[in-house]
Amino acid sequence: MIAVFNAELLKLRRRRLAIAVAAGALVFAAITSIVVFLSAQSTGGERGATTLGTLAEAGGASEAFAVGTSFTGILVLVLFIANFSSEFSQGTFRTLLMREPRRVALMAGKLAALLAFAAVVLALTEVLTVAVSAVVAPTQDVSTAAWFTLTGLGDAASAYATSLLSVAGWASLGVALAMVIRSAPIALGVGIAWSGPCEHLVADVWTSASLWFPGLLLEALAAGGTDDVAYSRALTLIAIYVTAALGAAAWVFARRDITA
Amino acid sequence: MTDMPEAGPPAVSVSGLTKRYGERAAVDGLTIDVPAGVVAGFVGPNGAGKTTTMAMLLGLVAPSGGSGTVLGQPLGTPAAYLHDVGALIEGPAFYPALSGDRNLRVLAAVAGHDPAQIPGLLELVGLGGRGGDRFRGYSLGMKQRLGIAAALLGDPRLLILDEPTNGLDPAGVAEMRRLIAGLARGGRTVLVSSHNLAEVEHVCDWLIVIDHGALVFQGPAAELLDSSAATVVAAPEHARDLGDLQRLLSGAGHDSAAIGGELVIAVNGSEACKLAADVNRVAGAGDIVLAELRATRATLEDRYLTMVNGGDR
Repeated sequence: MIAVFNAELLKLRRRRLAIAVAAGALVFAAITSIVVFLSAQSTGGERGATTLGTLAEAGGASEAFAVGTSFTGILVLVLFIANFSSEFSQGTFRTLLMREPRRVALMAGKLAALLAFAAVVLALTEVLTVAVSAVVAPTQDVSTAAWFTLTGLGDAASAYATSLLSVAGWASLGVALAMVIRSAPIALGVGIAWSGPCEHLVADVWTSASLWFPGLLLEALAAGGTDDVAYSRALTLIAIYVTAALGAAAWVFARRDITA
Repeated sequence: MTDMPEAGPPAVSVSGLTKRYGERAAVDGLTIDVPAGVVAGFVGPNGAGKTTTMAMLLGLVAPSGGSGTVLGQPLGTPAAYLHDVGALIEGPAFYPALSGDRNLRVLAAVAGHDPAQIPGLLELVGLGGRGGDRFRGYSLGMKQRLGIAAALLGDPRLLILDEPTNGLDPAGVAEMRRLIAGLARGGRTVLVSSHNLAEVEHVCDWLIVIDHGALVFQGPAAELLDSSAATVVAAPEHARDLGDLQRLLSGAGHDSAAIGGELVIAVNGSEACKLAADVNRVAGAGDIVLAELRATRATLEDRYLTMVNGGDR
């Protein structure tokens, strides 16, 4: 598994990819910071809504990062489905399995490496978002004095952990879909349709949907919990979903003939 | 061809190997041995089960039945032997966005092989100056070469190559033929499937012929070719001597047919050279000068077509 992990990182350690990721993170940081600070209300609003007051608190530094990453679930799902299903369509799983026939180790090593890469990208994104926010904050008369304190660092670390858990959840579900379905278009169709319109349409008519559906639970997880779903419930159920999904994917992958 | 190796445990030995997809048997009770150290040609028509058999040897496809060993390890335990097996199956599959060199480094990392061998392997397969190019920009021939280089990572004892000359131009085919012959030196076993029977005939010293998933022939290539029909053709310098030569040969126990200005004598492949010498002696004893004397053995293609079309099992 460690060999596969290192091999996967070897694929990711490319200058062009690094430049593209850094550019994407910078654009993300700029857009989320500007949108969050410009749309923040002076006072009041719904529970959990961002105000200029909350932005001036210790957690204000990572507020734009937390808000921005909470909308990236589908993107993460798509990227992981595309990555894993392309290994089937390109025939590269076949090439890899002739070198590492322990299939579960191959799948686990690859997923671990991609999650490690995602963790680095998230860290970079948070640092850039805080930097851009620090530039934008004075234009909205938001004080940054509380940001760079121990409490502020703790809040930033908490936002990072929450985002990483959310990304890991979406990624794992994407991997499971890709490994079971194998076809990228079909897996993407199923994944996007279910976690996008399907869950939300059902949630419109069945109010308890947010307590059970994986996509809605992941949204609640990314938001640090909601009025309807406690953070601990979201975390527990997502852990169960992820374990079941990856277990099913590993079981199928270990037994299926590789003919492509 | 390589010299036939001393008898020893076979590199590949399977018995009753079967793969079924529903009612259809892609491989049907196949029993084969590939002696260690040979270049074994694996031939058969499209859909005969060659690739499926190779995929089962490589642990990619689970057999429906049968048993066997690869490099002495049980067939169902690919982790026990794949570190010593290099393979190219169903065409070269690599990451399009990575260079040839980086693709090999990824595979070396997965298998725990030393990446220092990669420049030498790229040189060996003729990609020495192109290893830094992206795989997606390679021609089909270059992709095949990279596939061979990947198969050679770790200096494997057994190479399994599925149609390695696919997509190569005639010069590329000839080069690949030399490469495969060279790979067998030093005791390495090569199992190569091919539609190019001329290539198999030139390179392989062991042959396995299958059709509809079942074995048709296995054994030394020379044995198959020697058992096939051959002809000896003799043409006297003067056409008027044709009848006399035919009578003299008949007296020596060789029936011949006059076709055009030549006499044609059918013979078993292994006897062709001896018969040609006899014909020469008979003609000389009768003061007949031969303008042409040749022994023509059936090619592997002739023999193969007889076997797969003529129920020669």
